Amino acid sequence: MPALVAAETSAPVLPNYTAPPFPVTAKLDLRGRKVLVVDDDRLNARILTSILRPGGYIVTQTDSAEKALELYATFNPDLVLLDVVLPGLNGFDACRQLKSMYGDACAPIIFITAKRESEDVVEGLTAGGVDYLPKPFRPKEVLERVRVHLQNRVLIEQQQKLVAQLSSANAAKNRLLGMAAHDLRNPLASIRGMADFLRDGTVGQLTPDQLDLVATIHEASQSMLELVNEFLDISVIESGELKIRPSATSLPELLTKSVYLNNINAARKGTRIDLTLSETDRPCQMDAEKIKQVVDNLLSNAIKFSPPASVIQIRAEYTDTHCSILVQDQGPGIPAGESHKLFKDFSVTSVKPTAGEKSTGLGLAICRKIIEAHRGLISAENHPAGGCVFKISLPLT
Amino acid sequence: MNFSGKILLVDDEPHIRKFVALILKKFGDPQVIEASNGQEALRLMRETPPDLILLDVNMPVLDGVQTLGAIMQENPEAIVVMLTSLVNRQTVEECLRLGATGYIRKDTPSVEIRSELLRIIIDCFGEEPADLSAS
Repeated sequence: MPALVAAETSAPVLPNYTAPPFPVTAKLDLRGRKVLVVDDDRLNARILTSILRPGGYIVTQTDSAEKALELYATFNPDLVLLDVVLPGLNGFDACRQLKSMYGDACAPIIFITAKRESEDVVEGLTAGGVDYLPKPFRPKEVLERVRVHLQNRVLIEQQQKLVAQLSSANAAKNRLLGMAAHDLRNPLASIRGMADFLRDGTVGQLTPDQLDLVATIHEASQSMLELVNEFLDISVIESGELKIRPSATSLPELLTKSVYLNNINAARKGTRIDLTLSETDRPCQMDAEKIKQVVDNLLSNAIKFSPPASVIQIRAEYTDTHCSILVQDQGPGIPAGESHKLFKDFSVTSVKPTAGEKSTGLGLAICRKIIEAHRGLISAENHPAGGCVFKISLPLT
Repeated sequence: MNFSGKILLVDDEPHIRKFVALILKKFGDPQVIEASNGQEALRLMRETPPDLILLDVNMPVLDGVQTLGAIMQENPEAIVVMLTSLVNRQTVEECLRLGATGYIRKDTPSVEIRSELLRIIIDCFGEEPADLSAS
């Protein structure tokens, strides 16, 4: 491979790198690129070679399509100049064969033709050619057209290489996140749990100062655990491993369980979660664990963003085809113009939690991905009476 | 106090054993025997047959799934609850298929772990520890 281009050795795109508004590609060095000339007219072939060689290209010539197909495999050209009228297989058919043999990896093919009628041009282009060179040749035109198409090919190759590099870097990031999250999770859960036991007096009474320290340990480990869980979720979801395993689920049962546990946290802020269940209890097809995760997230957000001593309402509704879960808080609502941020990765709005709780901006993005995997919808809007209503809607079957 | 059975607690991480043992204390006065891998668990199980086994999935020497298989072969009536961290549901389903009674996620809050364990104990032993509603 000849040494290419500035772009290949330049630094990879860094997070804080801002691309100029109109990127300008430096002229690529195309010397050493290989051109295959196919023309049964010896003189034409020689003229083309004498035009191209001073441009730094490596040129090989042949006089039939059949030989060209054979040569292509060994010479491996970066560009083919192909006469249309040839003894035996014609240029268009040779072009189709090359395209079907090499697909997208096939070198760009430029037809050499004396015929300038548009029909021929069209047939050449539909056969997979990229351009045509009219005879008689004008050296500057030949060099310019060859340069343009070689350059396009090099740029495409670079893009493909970059995309492959970025995808594998992203996969590595997801693996790292997943591994780190795994190994942090258990110890954090133990720290949190043991702080809990110290706080609730399981192992004896603490002084107020000790209680204060223990509460801090509990809160810090709690928010770290949430962060780690969210990282892990994101890495699982991004690597395409979010598997939904639906089974017939009772929504009232799921909501009762989630509300019971979240009420324990809510009580610390003097807040209460009210669950309203309709008479209906139709089984819904859903991944109960994942949906509970979404409900838990909506409730913990509602607690976070509502002022102390609020009431959070949650209820289930059914239509013929869907079930919905609505969570209404008494927080400040979604600021005007910020609703687009809600369900995006690492995106937080200008609203702050009311007791210094942490927010990663991942929770709702994860919720959205889980709900979408259920073919459902998640949305949020401000309530006319204040606060904000989050709504999940899931198909029953 | 109500539940005073023998519980075999198997996990390679000491802090998890300490944490789960504290939760178990809330059920009364159970006798908790600890093991740090599957092989040790099988040995202890033979020495002192437990009423309930709490079994970690990822462990060195002999992992939870293999240990579960061995336990069920020796005693198909054994009550085994798997301790998992990340819900690797394929593994969980495999364990349930092999005869595990249920599973508990170690990374959930202690109240949640407690209520799950309580449910399983009531289901299996028909007893309700007295002080649970109090905690």
